[in-house]
Amino acid sequence: MASFGTLLKSGVSLLRCVRQFSTGTCSLVRMHAIPKLKQVDRWTEKRSMFGVYDNIGILGDFKAHPKDLITGPAWLRGFRGNELQRLTRKKRMVGDRMMTEDRHNLEKRISFLYRRFNRYGKHR
Amino acid sequence: IYKSLFLLRLFSSFSGESALPSNLRLPPNLIGVPREKRAFPASTDLPVLRRCEADIPAHLAPVQTWLQSLESRHSEPLGVVDLHPDVFSVPVRLDILHAVEVWQRNFKRISYAKVKSRAEVSGGGRKPWKQKGSGRARHGSIRSPIWRGGGVAHGPRGPTSYYYMLPMKVRVQGLKIALTSKLAQDYLHIVDSLEIPTPDPHYLQDLAKHRQWGDSVLIVDVGEEFPQNILQATESLKTINIIPAIGLNVHSMLKHESLVLTLEAVKFLEKKLLWHDTRFTPLYPFKLPYSDLP
Repeated sequence: MASFGTLLKSGVSLLRCVRQFSTGTCSLVRMHAIPKLKQVDRWTEKRSMFGVYDNIGILGDFKAHPKDLITGPAWLRGFRGNELQRLTRKKRMVGDRMMTEDRHNLEKRISFLYRRFNRYGKHR
Repeated sequence: IYKSLFLLRLFSSFSGESALPSNLRLPPNLIGVPREKRAFPASTDLPVLRRCEADIPAHLAPVQTWLQSLESRHSEPLGVVDLHPDVFSVPVRLDILHAVEVWQRNFKRISYAKVKSRAEVSGGGRKPWKQKGSGRARHGSIRSPIWRGGGVAHGPRGPTSYYYMLPMKVRVQGLKIALTSKLAQDYLHIVDSLEIPTPDPHYLQDLAKHRQWGDSVLIVDVGEEFPQNILQATESLKTINIIPAIGLNVHSMLKHESLVLTLEAVKFLEKKLLWHDTRFTPLYPFKLPYSDLP
Protein backbone atom coordinates (compact mmCIF):
# COMPACT_ATOMS: atom_id res chain seq x y z
CA MET A 1 0.00 0.00 0.00
CA ALA A 2 2.91 2.33 0.75
CA SER A 3 4.40 1.65 -2.65
CA PHE A 4 1.06 2.53 -4.22
CA GLY A 5 1.16 5.91 -2.51
CA THR A 6 4.65 6.64 -3.76
CA LEU A 7 3.57 5.64 -7.23
CA LEU A 8 0.72 8.13 -7.09
CA LYS A 9 3.01 10.92 -5.94
CA SER A 10 5.37 10.20 -8.78
CA GLY A 11 2.50 9.96 -11.26
CA VAL A 12 3.58 13.08 -13.06
CA SER A 13 7.03 11.71 -13.67
CA LEU A 14 5.51 8.45 -14.91
CA LEU A 15 3.59 10.29 -17.61
CA ARG A 16 6.82 11.59 -19.02
CA CYS A 17 7.97 7.98 -19.55
CA VAL A 18 5.52 7.41 -22.44
CA ARG A 19 7.25 6.94 -25.79
CA GLN A 20 6.48 9.38 -28.55
CA PHE A 21 7.27 6.82 -31.25
CA SER A 22 6.26 3.22 -31.92
CA THR A 23 8.71 0.35 -31.99
CA GLY A 24 6.62 -2.11 -33.99
CA THR A 25 5.92 -2.58 -37.68
CA CYS A 26 2.59 -2.14 -39.35
CA SER A 27 0.49 -5.02 -40.61
CA LEU A 28 0.74 -5.89 -44.27
CA VAL A 29 -3.03 -6.26 -44.45
CA ARG A 30 -4.40 -2.78 -44.81
CA MET A 31 -8.09 -2.20 -44.54
CA HIS A 32 -9.64 1.23 -44.41
CA ALA A 33 -13.18 -0.07 -44.19
CA ILE A 34 -15.04 -3.26 -43.47
CA PRO A 35 -14.92 -5.19 -46.74
CA LYS A 36 -18.23 -5.95 -48.42
CA LEU A 37 -19.53 -9.49 -48.21
CA LYS A 38 -19.29 -11.28 -51.51
CA GLN A 39 -22.68 -11.81 -53.11
CA VAL A 40 -23.18 -15.46 -53.88
CA ASP A 41 -26.22 -16.46 -55.92
CA ARG A 42 -27.38 -19.71 -54.34
CA TRP A 43 -29.84 -20.43 -57.15
CA THR A 44 -27.79 -20.55 -60.33
CA GLU A 45 -28.55 -23.31 -62.83
CA LYS A 46 -25.57 -25.34 -61.64
CA ARG A 47 -26.38 -24.99 -57.95
CA SER A 48 -30.08 -25.68 -58.23
CA MET A 49 -29.58 -28.73 -60.44
CA PHE A 50 -26.67 -30.15 -58.47
CA GLY A 51 -27.00 -33.81 -57.68
CA VAL A 52 -29.82 -34.52 -60.13
CA TYR A 53 -29.49 -38.03 -61.63
CA ASP A 54 -27.17 -39.20 -58.87
CA ASN A 55 -29.56 -42.06 -58.17
CA ILE A 56 -29.89 -43.02 -61.80
CA GLY A 57 -28.91 -46.58 -60.95
CA ILE A 58 -31.44 -47.35 -58.27
CA LEU A 59 -34.25 -45.33 -59.86
CA GLY A 60 -33.46 -46.06 -63.46
CA ASP A 61 -33.28 -49.86 -63.73
CA PHE A 62 -29.48 -50.03 -63.37
CA LYS A 63 -28.87 -49.19 -66.99
CA ALA A 64 -26.42 -46.46 -65.94
CA HIS A 65 -24.18 -46.01 -62.92
CA PRO A 66 -23.56 -42.72 -61.11
CA LYS A 67 -19.90 -43.01 -62.01
CA ASP A 68 -20.88 -42.45 -65.64
CA LEU A 69 -21.98 -38.96 -64.67
CA ILE A 70 -18.53 -37.87 -63.58
CA THR A 71 -16.84 -35.50 -66.01
CA GLY A 72 -13.12 -35.44 -65.85
CA PRO A 73 -9.91 -37.04 -67.02
CA ALA A 74 -10.51 -40.48 -68.49
CA TRP A 75 -8.19 -42.20 -66.05
CA LEU A 76 -10.03 -40.78 -63.02
CA ARG A 77 -13.69 -41.46 -63.74
CA GLY A 78 -15.01 -43.76 -61.07
CA PHE A 79 -11.54 -44.44 -59.68
CA ARG A 80 -9.87 -43.46 -56.45
CA GLY A 81 -6.31 -44.13 -55.48
CA ASN A 82 -3.16 -42.69 -54.02
CA GLU A 83 -0.70 -40.80 -56.17
CA LEU A 84 1.25 -43.80 -57.41
CA GLN A 85 -1.91 -45.67 -58.38
CA ARG A 86 -3.25 -42.63 -60.20
CA LEU A 87 -0.02 -42.10 -62.10
CA THR A 88 0.36 -45.72 -63.17
CA ARG A 89 -3.25 -45.75 -64.30
CA LYS A 90 -2.66 -42.56 -66.26
CA LYS A 91 0.38 -44.10 -67.88
CA ARG A 92 -1.56 -47.22 -68.83
CA MET A 93 -4.56 -45.40 -70.24
CA VAL A 94 -3.19 -42.20 -71.70
CA GLY A 95 0.59 -42.62 -71.71
CA ASP A 96 1.09 -43.20 -75.39
CA ARG A 97 -0.74 -39.99 -76.23
CA MET A 98 1.28 -37.75 -73.95
CA MET A 99 3.85 -35.18 -74.93
CA THR A 100 7.49 -36.05 -74.35
CA GLU A 101 8.19 -33.71 -71.44
CA ASP A 102 5.01 -34.65 -69.61
CA ARG A 103 5.69 -38.33 -70.17
CA HIS A 104 9.24 -37.97 -68.90
CA ASN A 105 8.07 -36.16 -65.78
CA LEU A 106 5.41 -38.80 -65.24
CA GLU A 107 7.94 -41.61 -65.46
CA LYS A 108 10.34 -39.83 -63.12
CA ARG A 109 7.57 -39.31 -60.60
CA ILE A 110 6.43 -42.93 -60.82
CA SER A 111 9.92 -44.27 -60.20
CA PHE A 112 10.45 -41.82 -57.32
CA LEU A 113 7.16 -42.82 -55.66
CA TYR A 114 7.80 -46.51 -56.21
CA ARG A 115 11.14 -46.27 -54.46
CA ARG A 116 9.74 -44.07 -51.73
CA PHE A 117 6.80 -46.35 -50.91
CA ASN A 118 8.55 -49.68 -51.27
CA ARG A 119 12.03 -49.04 -49.92
CA TYR A 120 12.05 -46.35 -47.26
CA GLY A 121 10.15 -45.69 -44.08
CA LYS A 122 8.15 -47.90 -41.77
CA HIS A 123 5.55 -48.99 -44.32
CA ARG A 124 7.28 -50.76 -47.12
CA ILE B 1 -45.72 -7.33 -32.20
CA TYR B 2 -44.62 -10.64 -30.80
CA LYS B 3 -43.91 -12.64 -33.93
CA SER B 4 -44.00 -16.03 -32.37
CA LEU B 5 -46.68 -17.40 -34.65
CA PHE B 6 -44.01 -18.02 -37.24
CA LEU B 7 -42.70 -20.97 -35.25
CA LEU B 8 -46.12 -22.16 -34.18
CA ARG B 9 -46.06 -24.86 -36.85
CA LEU B 10 -42.75 -26.26 -35.69
CA PHE B 11 -43.66 -26.68 -32.08
CA SER B 12 -47.30 -27.51 -32.12
CA SER B 13 -47.27 -30.47 -34.43
CA PHE B 14 -47.74 -32.93 -31.63
CA SER B 15 -49.09 -30.71 -28.88
CA GLY B 16 -52.47 -29.18 -29.21
CA GLU B 17 -51.74 -25.72 -27.82
CA SER B 18 -49.48 -23.07 -29.25
CA ALA B 19 -46.94 -23.46 -26.47
CA LEU B 20 -43.48 -22.16 -27.20
CA PRO B 21 -40.53 -23.13 -25.02
CA SER B 22 -39.87 -20.56 -22.35
CA ASN B 23 -36.19 -20.22 -23.20
CA LEU B 24 -36.86 -19.35 -26.84
CA ARG B 25 -35.34 -16.09 -27.95
CA LEU B 26 -36.59 -14.60 -31.18
CA PRO B 27 -34.89 -11.70 -32.92
CA PRO B 28 -37.03 -8.57 -32.77
CA ASN B 29 -36.88 -8.04 -36.53
CA LEU B 30 -38.15 -11.49 -37.43
CA ILE B 31 -40.52 -11.46 -40.37
CA GLY B 32 -42.52 -14.33 -41.62
CA VAL B 33 -46.03 -15.25 -42.36
CA PRO B 34 -47.27 -17.83 -39.90
CA ARG B 35 -47.61 -21.09 -41.73
CA GLU B 36 -51.02 -22.47 -40.92
CA LYS B 37 -51.05 -26.17 -41.07
CA ARG B 38 -54.16 -27.64 -42.55
CA ALA B 39 -55.07 -30.54 -40.33
CA PHE B 40 -53.90 -33.82 -41.73
CA PRO B 41 -56.79 -36.03 -42.75
CA ALA B 42 -57.24 -37.89 -39.52
CA SER B 43 -60.83 -38.97 -39.94
CA THR B 44 -61.43 -42.26 -41.70
CA ASP B 45 -64.68 -41.34 -43.41
CA LEU B 46 -63.04 -39.47 -46.32
CA PRO B 47 -62.89 -41.50 -49.53
CA VAL B 48 -59.35 -42.57 -50.29
CA LEU B 49 -58.54 -41.76 -53.92
CA ARG B 50 -55.46 -43.92 -54.19
CA ARG B 51 -54.45 -47.06 -52.35
CA CYS B 52 -50.92 -48.44 -52.28
CA GLU B 53 -50.21 -51.10 -54.88
CA ALA B 54 -47.61 -52.90 -52.79
CA ASP B 55 -48.59 -54.95 -49.76
CA ILE B 56 -48.38 -53.13 -46.49
CA PRO B 57 -47.15 -55.09 -43.46
CA ALA B 58 -49.94 -55.91 -41.05
CA HIS B 59 -48.52 -53.96 -38.16
CA LEU B 60 -48.26 -50.71 -40.15
CA ALA B 61 -50.94 -48.43 -41.44
CA PRO B 62 -50.63 -46.35 -44.59
CA VAL B 63 -49.83 -42.65 -44.16
CA GLN B 64 -52.48 -40.36 -45.55
CA THR B 65 -52.14 -36.95 -47.10
CA TRP B 66 -54.11 -34.52 -49.22
CA LEU B 67 -54.26 -34.72 -52.99
CA GLN B 68 -54.08 -31.24 -54.49
CA SER B 69 -54.45 -29.80 -57.94
CA LEU B 70 -52.54 -27.10 -59.77
CA GLU B 71 -55.53 -25.98 -61.85
CA SER B 72 -56.32 -22.78 -60.03
CA ARG B 73 -54.94 -20.86 -57.12
CA HIS B 74 -57.89 -21.39 -54.87
CA SER B 75 -58.75 -24.97 -55.73
CA GLU B 76 -59.52 -27.13 -52.73
CA PRO B 77 -57.76 -30.44 -52.18
CA LEU B 78 -59.42 -33.19 -54.19
CA GLY B 79 -59.21 -35.85 -51.56
CA VAL B 80 -57.03 -38.15 -49.57
CA VAL B 81 -54.36 -40.56 -50.83
CA ASP B 82 -52.58 -43.43 -49.13
CA LEU B 83 -48.80 -43.59 -49.01
CA HIS B 84 -46.77 -46.66 -48.17
CA PRO B 85 -45.39 -46.46 -44.63
CA ASP B 86 -42.13 -48.22 -45.52
CA VAL B 87 -41.27 -45.36 -47.86
CA PHE B 88 -42.97 -42.36 -46.33
CA SER B 89 -42.74 -43.03 -42.63
CA VAL B 90 -39.45 -44.74 -41.92
CA PRO B 91 -37.49 -43.90 -38.78
CA VAL B 92 -35.57 -40.74 -39.56
CA ARG B 93 -31.84 -41.50 -39.35
CA LEU B 94 -30.09 -38.17 -39.68
CA ASP B 95 -26.70 -39.83 -39.89
CA ILE B 96 -27.70 -41.72 -43.02
CA LEU B 97 -29.10 -38.52 -44.50
CA HIS B 98 -25.84 -36.74 -43.76
CA ALA B 99 -23.78 -39.58 -45.20
CA VAL B 100 -25.78 -39.60 -48.44
CA GLU B 101 -25.59 -35.83 -48.78
CA VAL B 102 -21.82 -35.83 -48.24
CA TRP B 103 -21.49 -38.67 -50.73
CA GLN B 104 -23.39 -36.70 -53.34
CA ARG B 105 -21.13 -33.72 -52.81
CA ASN B 106 -17.88 -35.62 -52.95
CA PHE B 107 -18.07 -38.63 -55.22
CA LYS B 108 -18.13 -36.48 -58.34
CA ARG B 109 -15.38 -34.22 -57.10
CA ILE B 110 -12.14 -34.12 -59.00
CA SER B 111 -9.71 -31.56 -57.72
CA TYR B 112 -7.33 -30.27 -60.38
CA ALA B 113 -4.86 -28.65 -58.01
CA LYS B 114 -1.29 -29.48 -58.96
CA VAL B 115 2.02 -27.84 -58.19
CA LYS B 116 5.40 -28.61 -59.64
CA SER B 117 7.84 -30.58 -57.56
CA ARG B 118 11.53 -29.88 -57.63
CA ALA B 119 11.94 -32.32 -60.50
CA GLU B 120 9.35 -30.58 -62.65
CA VAL B 121 10.40 -26.96 -62.22
CA SER B 122 12.57 -25.86 -65.12
CA GLY B 123 16.23 -25.63 -64.42
CA GLY B 124 17.97 -26.75 -61.29
CA GLY B 125 20.13 -29.52 -62.69
CA ARG B 126 23.46 -27.99 -61.91
CA LYS B 127 25.02 -27.56 -58.48
CA PRO B 128 24.98 -23.75 -57.95
CA TRP B 129 28.39 -23.49 -56.27
CA LYS B 130 30.97 -25.98 -55.14
CA GLN B 131 30.40 -27.91 -51.97
CA LYS B 132 33.27 -26.53 -49.94
CA GLY B 133 35.16 -23.30 -49.91
CA SER B 134 32.64 -20.67 -51.00
CA GLY B 135 31.49 -19.89 -47.48
CA ARG B 136 27.81 -20.20 -48.41
CA ALA B 137 25.43 -22.96 -47.36
CA ARG B 138 25.71 -26.14 -49.37
CA HIS B 139 23.08 -26.66 -52.06
CA GLY B 140 22.52 -29.11 -54.83
CA SER B 141 20.06 -27.33 -57.07
CA ILE B 142 18.40 -23.96 -57.32
CA ARG B 143 14.91 -25.48 -57.44
CA SER B 144 14.89 -27.34 -54.15
CA PRO B 145 11.92 -26.56 -51.88
CA ILE B 146 13.89 -24.27 -49.58
CA TRP B 147 14.79 -21.96 -52.42
CA ARG B 148 12.62 -19.11 -53.67
CA GLY B 149 11.19 -20.20 -56.99
CA GLY B 150 11.81 -23.84 -56.17
CA GLY B 151 9.38 -26.71 -56.31
CA VAL B 152 6.87 -27.53 -53.60
CA ALA B 153 7.78 -30.57 -51.50
CA HIS B 154 4.34 -31.90 -50.44
CA GLY B 155 1.86 -29.98 -52.52
CA PRO B 156 -1.28 -31.18 -54.24
CA ARG B 157 -0.29 -33.63 -56.93
CA GLY B 158 -2.25 -33.87 -60.08
CA PRO B 159 -5.95 -34.28 -60.58
CA THR B 160 -7.21 -36.15 -57.51
CA SER B 161 -10.52 -37.88 -57.41
CA TYR B 162 -12.64 -38.32 -54.30
CA TYR B 163 -14.84 -41.06 -55.70
CA TYR B 164 -16.44 -43.64 -53.46
CA MET B 165 -19.79 -45.41 -53.37
CA LEU B 166 -22.07 -45.96 -50.46
CA PRO B 167 -23.86 -49.28 -50.32
CA MET B 168 -26.98 -49.31 -52.49
CA LYS B 169 -29.29 -49.91 -49.59
CA VAL B 170 -27.86 -46.93 -47.70
CA ARG B 171 -28.59 -44.67 -50.64
CA VAL B 172 -32.09 -46.08 -50.95
CA GLN B 173 -32.66 -45.59 -47.24
CA GLY B 174 -31.43 -42.02 -47.57
CA LEU B 175 -34.09 -41.34 -50.19
CA LYS B 176 -36.78 -42.89 -48.02
CA ILE B 177 -35.70 -40.83 -45.00
CA ALA B 178 -35.71 -37.63 -47.03
CA LEU B 179 -39.22 -38.33 -48.28
CA THR B 180 -40.35 -39.15 -44.76
CA SER B 181 -38.95 -35.91 -43.39
CA LYS B 182 -40.58 -33.86 -46.11
CA LEU B 183 -43.92 -35.45 -45.35
CA ALA B 184 -43.54 -35.12 -41.61
CA GLN B 185 -42.64 -31.45 -41.85
CA ASP B 186 -45.60 -30.72 -44.11
CA TYR B 187 -43.41 -29.90 -47.08
CA LEU B 188 -44.59 -32.74 -49.32
CA HIS B 189 -47.52 -32.11 -51.68
CA ILE B 190 -49.15 -34.69 -53.90
CA VAL B 191 -50.71 -33.45 -57.12
CA ASP B 192 -52.80 -35.37 -59.62
CA SER B 193 -51.14 -33.96 -62.73
CA LEU B 194 -48.97 -31.04 -63.78
CA GLU B 195 -51.51 -29.23 -65.98
CA ILE B 196 -51.56 -25.50 -65.36
CA PRO B 197 -53.77 -22.99 -67.14
CA THR B 198 -51.08 -20.51 -68.22
CA PRO B 199 -47.37 -20.69 -69.02
CA ASP B 200 -46.91 -17.64 -66.84
CA PRO B 201 -44.18 -18.03 -64.20
CA HIS B 202 -45.99 -15.59 -61.91
CA TYR B 203 -48.91 -17.99 -61.67
CA LEU B 204 -46.73 -20.68 -60.15
CA GLN B 205 -45.03 -18.26 -57.79
CA ASP B 206 -48.40 -16.94 -56.70
CA LEU B 207 -49.71 -20.43 -56.17
CA ALA B 208 -46.71 -21.45 -54.10
CA LYS B 209 -46.96 -18.32 -52.01
CA HIS B 210 -50.69 -18.62 -51.48
CA ARG B 211 -50.50 -22.25 -50.46
CA GLN B 212 -47.45 -21.55 -48.27
CA TRP B 213 -45.24 -24.06 -49.96
CA GLY B 214 -42.07 -22.21 -49.01
CA ASP B 215 -39.36 -20.32 -50.87
CA SER B 216 -38.35 -23.08 -53.25
CA VAL B 217 -40.33 -25.89 -54.82
CA LEU B 218 -39.11 -29.05 -56.52
CA ILE B 219 -41.64 -30.61 -58.88
CA VAL B 220 -41.19 -34.28 -59.78
CA ASP B 221 -43.01 -36.26 -62.46
CA VAL B 222 -42.44 -39.56 -64.20
CA GLY B 223 -41.68 -39.79 -67.89
CA GLU B 224 -39.77 -37.70 -70.40
CA GLU B 225 -42.71 -35.59 -71.59
CA PHE B 226 -43.96 -32.72 -69.50
CA PRO B 227 -46.81 -30.32 -70.34
CA GLN B 228 -45.45 -27.33 -72.23
CA ASN B 229 -47.05 -24.84 -69.83
CA ILE B 230 -45.21 -25.98 -66.77
CA LEU B 231 -41.95 -26.30 -68.68
CA GLN B 232 -42.16 -22.70 -69.84
CA ALA B 233 -43.21 -21.49 -66.43
CA THR B 234 -40.32 -23.12 -64.59
CA GLU B 235 -37.74 -22.25 -67.24
CA SER B 236 -37.34 -18.68 -66.13
CA LEU B 237 -37.86 -19.29 -62.41
CA LYS B 238 -34.80 -19.94 -60.31
CA THR B 239 -36.29 -21.39 -57.17
CA ILE B 240 -39.04 -23.51 -58.71
CA ASN B 241 -37.55 -26.42 -60.63
CA ILE B 242 -38.92 -29.50 -62.33
CA ILE B 243 -37.09 -32.79 -62.68
CA PRO B 244 -38.05 -36.28 -63.87
CA ALA B 245 -38.50 -38.91 -61.19
CA ILE B 246 -35.24 -40.63 -62.17
CA GLY B 247 -33.41 -37.49 -61.10
CA LEU B 248 -34.70 -37.44 -57.55
CA ASN B 249 -31.93 -37.19 -54.96
CA VAL B 250 -31.36 -36.18 -51.38
CA HIS B 251 -29.38 -33.01 -52.11
CA SER B 252 -32.13 -31.52 -54.28
CA MET B 253 -34.75 -32.44 -51.72
CA LEU B 254 -32.79 -30.70 -49.00
CA LYS B 255 -32.02 -27.67 -51.16
CA HIS B 256 -35.60 -27.03 -52.20
CA GLU B 257 -37.94 -26.24 -49.38
CA SER B 258 -40.94 -28.18 -50.58
CA LEU B 259 -41.47 -31.16 -52.85
CA VAL B 260 -44.39 -31.69 -55.21
CA LEU B 261 -44.96 -35.23 -56.48
CA THR B 262 -47.52 -36.45 -58.97
CA LEU B 263 -49.42 -39.65 -58.35
CA GLU B 264 -47.42 -41.50 -61.00
CA ALA B 265 -44.22 -40.29 -59.40
CA VAL B 266 -45.37 -41.63 -56.03
CA LYS B 267 -46.22 -45.00 -57.60
CA PHE B 268 -42.84 -45.12 -59.39
CA LEU B 269 -40.88 -44.23 -56.27
CA GLU B 270 -42.73 -46.69 -54.09
CA LYS B 271 -42.11 -49.48 -56.58
CA LYS B 272 -38.41 -48.68 -56.97
CA LEU B 273 -37.66 -48.09 -53.31
CA LEU B 274 -39.63 -50.98 -51.88
CA TRP B 275 -37.96 -53.53 -54.11
CA HIS B 276 -34.72 -53.16 -52.19
CA ASP B 277 -36.38 -54.30 -48.97
CA THR B 278 -37.02 -57.79 -50.26
CA ARG B 279 -34.41 -58.42 -52.91
CA PHE B 280 -31.66 -60.99 -52.98
CA THR B 281 -28.05 -59.91 -52.80
CA PRO B 282 -26.61 -59.52 -56.28
CA LEU B 283 -24.37 -62.34 -57.48
CA TYR B 284 -23.25 -60.12 -60.36
CA PRO B 285 -23.95 -56.43 -61.00
CA PHE B 286 -27.56 -55.60 -61.61
CA LYS B 287 -26.83 -54.03 -64.97
CA LEU B 288 -26.21 -57.50 -66.40
CA PRO B 289 -29.41 -59.36 -67.27
CA TYR B 290 -31.25 -61.29 -64.60
CA SER B 291 -33.98 -63.72 -65.54
CA ASP B 292 -36.54 -62.33 -63.10
CA LEU B 293 -35.67 -58.63 -63.29
CA PRO B 294 -37.38 -56.66 -66.05
